[in-house]
Amino acid sequence: MLVVDHVKRSFGSIKAVRDIGFTCPAGTVFGLLGPNGAGKTTMMRMILGIFPPDSGTITWQGRPIDRNARRRFGYLPEERGLYGKMRVLDHIVYFGRLHGLDEFDARDRAVVWLKTLGLEGNEKRACGELSKGNQQKVQLACAILHEPDLLILDEPFSGLDPVNAEVILDCIRLLASRGTTLLLSSHQMWQIENACSAFTIIGAGEVRAAGTLAELRAGFPTRPVRVVPDLPAIRAAFASCGAPEPHVDAGGALVYDLPVDADFGRLLRYAVAAGPLETFQREEPSLNAIYMRALGTRETAA
Amino acid sequence: MNEVAIVFSAEIMRKLRSRVFIVATLLGIFAIAALSYAPRMIEGMIRSSTDNIVLAGPAQLRERAATLMQERKDFRVIASVDHLPPYVTAKYLDGLHAAAGIAIAVEGGRLHLDIYPRDLAAFNDVQFRSLVPLNEELATGVPASRFAAASRIERSVHPIDAKFADAGSATFAHGIAFGLIFILYLAIIMGSQGMMAAVAEEKTSRIAEILVATISPVSLLTGKVLAAATLALAQVGIWLASGLLLSPLALSGLERNATSVAAVAAPTIQPTEIIAFVLFFLLGYLEFSIVNAAAASLVSRTEDLGSISAPLLMPVIGAFLIAQFAIVQPNAPWVVAFSFTPFISPFVMFTRIAVTAVPLWQMALAVGVNALTVAIAFYAAGKIYRVGMLLYGKLPSPKQIIATLRA
Repeated sequence: MLVVDHVKRSFGSIKAVRDIGFTCPAGTVFGLLGPNGAGKTTMMRMILGIFPPDSGTITWQGRPIDRNARRRFGYLPEERGLYGKMRVLDHIVYFGRLHGLDEFDARDRAVVWLKTLGLEGNEKRACGELSKGNQQKVQLACAILHEPDLLILDEPFSGLDPVNAEVILDCIRLLASRGTTLLLSSHQMWQIENACSAFTIIGAGEVRAAGTLAELRAGFPTRPVRVVPDLPAIRAAFASCGAPEPHVDAGGALVYDLPVDADFGRLLRYAVAAGPLETFQREEPSLNAIYMRALGTRETAA
Repeated sequence: MNEVAIVFSAEIMRKLRSRVFIVATLLGIFAIAALSYAPRMIEGMIRSSTDNIVLAGPAQLRERAATLMQERKDFRVIASVDHLPPYVTAKYLDGLHAAAGIAIAVEGGRLHLDIYPRDLAAFNDVQFRSLVPLNEELATGVPASRFAAASRIERSVHPIDAKFADAGSATFAHGIAFGLIFILYLAIIMGSQGMMAAVAEEKTSRIAEILVATISPVSLLTGKVLAAATLALAQVGIWLASGLLLSPLALSGLERNATSVAAVAAPTIQPTEIIAFVLFFLLGYLEFSIVNAAAASLVSRTEDLGSISAPLLMPVIGAFLIAQFAIVQPNAPWVVAFSFTPFISPFVMFTRIAVTAVPLWQMALAVGVNALTVAIAFYAAGKIYRVGMLLYGKLPSPKQIIATLRA
């Protein structure tokens, strides 16, 4: 279990992390969300021991993180970096060895992961010759070759096409199934929503919301209701029940953002009575809506 | 396998496979081959430009003068004529491949030379010393052979520090000292640039972040610097070996008795000097590489390397210049003091070892001072490296760097 307790960190006059605390249970996939400059990367770097917190504690399995524990961590930073002229296989083996694997074991594992990631046949190519997506996969292989206890992925889907993003997502699921604890950040909400079982949303160096998706949803004050078709009579029926003005989504559906305790049965009856109703769908708020609300950016549950 | 060893072996393999290293090593061998031929080529060029003369004058006088001139190898008489043309022209001299026409005559009981050189600056009094006995014979009637014998003073040189058996060995040692110090200078200059570029590349490619998250910055720095020093030493070893193998070419055209540099070097270079060179090469290389690596970690863009590399090169240049003084004044108090001064010591102490008998305690003290400097440099550079590798934007102020070192 990773426990971050009241951690603070400043760089000169800039307070990058004001007060962050969260618990990441072992074997879970944990999402650390926040806008650019929220302190996610700083937080991850402190967990990895790249620099220490000014105050607060970070523990792994109940103990302060030392070099031995850190060797069992894996890290994929937001900014991608590879030795451009080094061969793909050598690069992965090098990082495997830095994490304590012997040469032969690292080589065997690297071959397996290259195949899993769809990179077989590229073993002897220079890293710099690969496409951006494939370079990202090589870097992921470097981070996971030693089957880390804790894998930290900072924006793992950034710049990837949907196919490669899905490959990374599959890897995350595979590692989670093998017991690896994953801490990841991303701006791709639909991917992180699918991958993570718990989240902490931070803004300006502080925790704004935390919990499982169900917990976050339970605390969300509104629910979106999708209605098709967009008819004046239906709009009038909703207005008569005190519903706020809807917005129309890309598919032409009316989307009402209604209080969680609204009488949805009454609304449905009014809508049916108002015209030929095709769709009346009460939805759960998306992670994106929860994220937006937590950061005070926009409170509509779109 | 520990972290340092893993970084060390990976860096070695990475550099051995890089084209730059292979090309630089081969270019070095070609350069040494070219330098081996150079003395013969230069000597040939110098001879054709200054030594070849056309000698004119009465036959008997001409022959005696030519004999004396050629005995001392001052000139090579390539044509002997009774008279030079009324107007000696460059075309005339070129036709004979000569640098000058010299007409010799006796006037007022002494020799008189009329010289028609292609290059007015190419002739001086020293070159005509061989004719002094003949001049005196004409003036006094004493045979030239007696003057020649009187001008030779028998002398014996007795070494007092038992370092060298004779003056030739001492002179050769001076040359070796200069050569090896120059190699150390070149290796550090080139190595420093390479180290800075490599660190900047790791930083700009952001691979540094993963590395310092995985292993300690000191281990990373140590592995990188040790690998660079080892390869630099290996490269220098290859070049020196090429030089020794190609040395017969270097000396064959110089008409000297020695058959090769190796033959001359064998009795002059002692094993202690080879050990000293390797030791001080490594210590000097490490000291400068560590400082350069730490400095490069503070730079955000490779374009900014130039602004910090120039001041860092100053101590290297200073050390090299002080070593030149050490060749001729190895026991001057200030030279001795510099032989214990970090960063300068590797140059100066090695030079002293090569040209004079240095007490063992002084060698040990210099090694100790430099080893301690390397250890402190690794410690301080590791701290700077940890922070510097993740620092982007403007260069940190001296105050920030000091704060980092204290952290």
